Amino acid sequence: MALLEGSNLRKTYRLSKRNTVEALKGVEISIEAGEMVAIMGPSGSGKSTLMHILGLLHTPDPNHGPAPELRLAGENVASLSDNARTRIRARRMGFVFQDFNLVPTLTALENVLLACEYAGIKGKVARDAAIEALGLVGLADRADHKPSELSGGEQQRVAIARALVNKPEIILADEPTGNLDSDRSTEVLALFRQFNREHGQTIVLVTHDSEVGEACDRVVKMRDGRIRDSGLRTGTPVMAVPAATAPATA
Amino acid sequence: MRLVRDLGRRKLRSTLTITGIAIGIMALVVFGSMANKMNALIGGGSKYYQDKAIVSVGSMYSGNIQPLALSDVQKIESIDGVAAATPTVDMLLSSEGGATSMGTPEMITGSIPGGDKGLETFKIDLASGRELTAADADSKVTVLGSDLARRLNVKVGDKVALRDVQFTVVGIWAPTLTAPDKEAYVPLAAAQDLFVKSLPPLIQSKIVASDIATGITVYPQKGVSPETIKTRIEDLLGKDYTVMTGKDFDAMLGSFSAIFSLVLTGIALLSLLVGGLSTINTMAMAVAERTREIGIKRAIGASRWRIRREVVLESAAIGLIAGLIGLVIGAAMTTLFNDLGRESGNVLFELTLGTAATAIIFATGLGAIAGFIPAWHASRLDPVTALRYE
Ligand SMILES: Nc1ncnc2c1ncn2[C@@H]1O[C@H](COP(=O)(O)OP(=O)(O)O)[C@@H](O)[C@H]1O
Ligand SMILES: [Mg+2]
Repeated sequence: MALLEGSNLRKTYRLSKRNTVEALKGVEISIEAGEMVAIMGPSGSGKSTLMHILGLLHTPDPNHGPAPELRLAGENVASLSDNARTRIRARRMGFVFQDFNLVPTLTALENVLLACEYAGIKGKVARDAAIEALGLVGLADRADHKPSELSGGEQQRVAIARALVNKPEIILADEPTGNLDSDRSTEVLALFRQFNREHGQTIVLVTHDSEVGEACDRVVKMRDGRIRDSGLRTGTPVMAVPAATAPATA
Repeated sequence: MRLVRDLGRRKLRSTLTITGIAIGIMALVVFGSMANKMNALIGGGSKYYQDKAIVSVGSMYSGNIQPLALSDVQKIESIDGVAAATPTVDMLLSSEGGATSMGTPEMITGSIPGGDKGLETFKIDLASGRELTAADADSKVTVLGSDLARRLNVKVGDKVALRDVQFTVVGIWAPTLTAPDKEAYVPLAAAQDLFVKSLPPLIQSKIVASDIATGITVYPQKGVSPETIKTRIEDLLGKDYTVMTGKDFDAMLGSFSAIFSLVLTGIALLSLLVGGLSTINTMAMAVAERTREIGIKRAIGASRWRIRREVVLESAAIGLIAGLIGLVIGAAMTTLFNDLGRESGNVLFELTLGTAATAIIFATGLGAIAGFIPAWHASRLDPVTALRYE
């Protein structure tokens, strides 16, 4: 059974009555536990939109075509309440964004502790976990620094520590290296790779950096709101029909 | 702690808001303290008048009081239902008249020690010295109210001039927060002398000092209401006499008290409005400024409720800080005004624990309530949109 599995995922943004953007035009995707997957594609192809749906930050549109489905460890999570989705994000998912990941008034440690707090973990347990997570990303000695006192790469590593601290089932990262120079990029990528290898952490990376893609187990290629290539070798039974070849329904 | 840090990053705006609320709270504290003093004054009077009737001719406070004859006392004592009637001679301490003070003026009051036959229920504690006794009847001795003693800067054993006559201070009362604090209590005969001396010479010559009073305090017998006594006195003595009972006093000053409460409520409402709007504005800007931060918090699992709570708590903290500042300044002002006023016998403010607590709770509650609207807005932000906000 796939860890995260979506089908008929559509998203249309309504800018005005007449003006709408079809960001996702019916996507089918499946992510196995322990996989490190890259979602790649040109800017505007719908990568972030897909990640927001997979991360329960947005719900797929229900109102046209076949009903959307989204399963997390077998459970249908497509139409949960805001509170239920928030709870899942807090306890079972980790997030890293391109920039502005950290609360500027809080120290690195406090930023990591925020994720513990939201997951309902408190006190010494939380503190120990946060310090350990900062240690894993090599920032134990920066725990008391504010984001403004950290470099861009260090900030991203704090964000990764925060994504990791609750040992979530899946980490979703949207262009986590988008603002970093190539050396910092490589470092951050190596961290993801390490957690995936050593702890079997499932990771979904949205990127348009082909170097990042190459470092992953699999690359899902998107274009124009559809998946062009699921990255699965032919014969792999998981996803027989990539979404791109499904009949256009929009 | 985090909360305070969040306040700190918008120093100017928070400072302005806090200043605004603090001014409102300060006004609340100052006027509240004044109301406390007034209410104590009125309450004290109300208690004093409650179980007796005071007979006079003319108005004591306007100064144009006309003397009564001691024979009136005997007439009243013979009325059915009267347990005791005792003459008093009251006059303003200042011989110039025209009291400029707020609250009650400084007075000289004379009566016969023990003339109440033990019926007086309004008891005043002594701070030092002793009360007047029957043995003092012909002496120039006085017991002073606390405010008056402090203004004259005298203690027991000192000499003090009352209307240019030397009196020996034999006792000083403890504060009552009401009229007796500004009184000099003397034996009746001494008061009669002082009173006659203050009259124009032409009238003086026609009056025997020992035969006059400015008021008669009448104590009803047990089970007889002062109202009944009042009617009987009026029937006996006629329209020229004014008889005041507790009910009359309450009717007279109750409206005064009501106006004061109204002013106080007005100030409270005004600071509610100004402080509330200012806080809503501050918090709305704080929320707008922190849109991305709210986005990230929501994304990593902060519930809507948690975001709301964060904003409301911060807003309440603004109120609390403003309340504390307002209270401190207000307390300093009332203390200062009282110190300044003590010179002229005007102690107008009484800051109670209740007033202080009300001010703080009011300010904090105001902050919290004002935070609700921005908090609601913050909690409804879409996390993804918020994250993209520039
Ligand atoms: N909140 C939004 N409102 C309107 N249009 C949006 C919104 N988010 C994304 N879009 C549009 O949807 C399309 C896909 O965007 P996105 O998923 O961000 O692509 P990518 O991450 O691949 O660059 C783009 O055309 C983008 O302009
Ligand atoms: Mg994107």
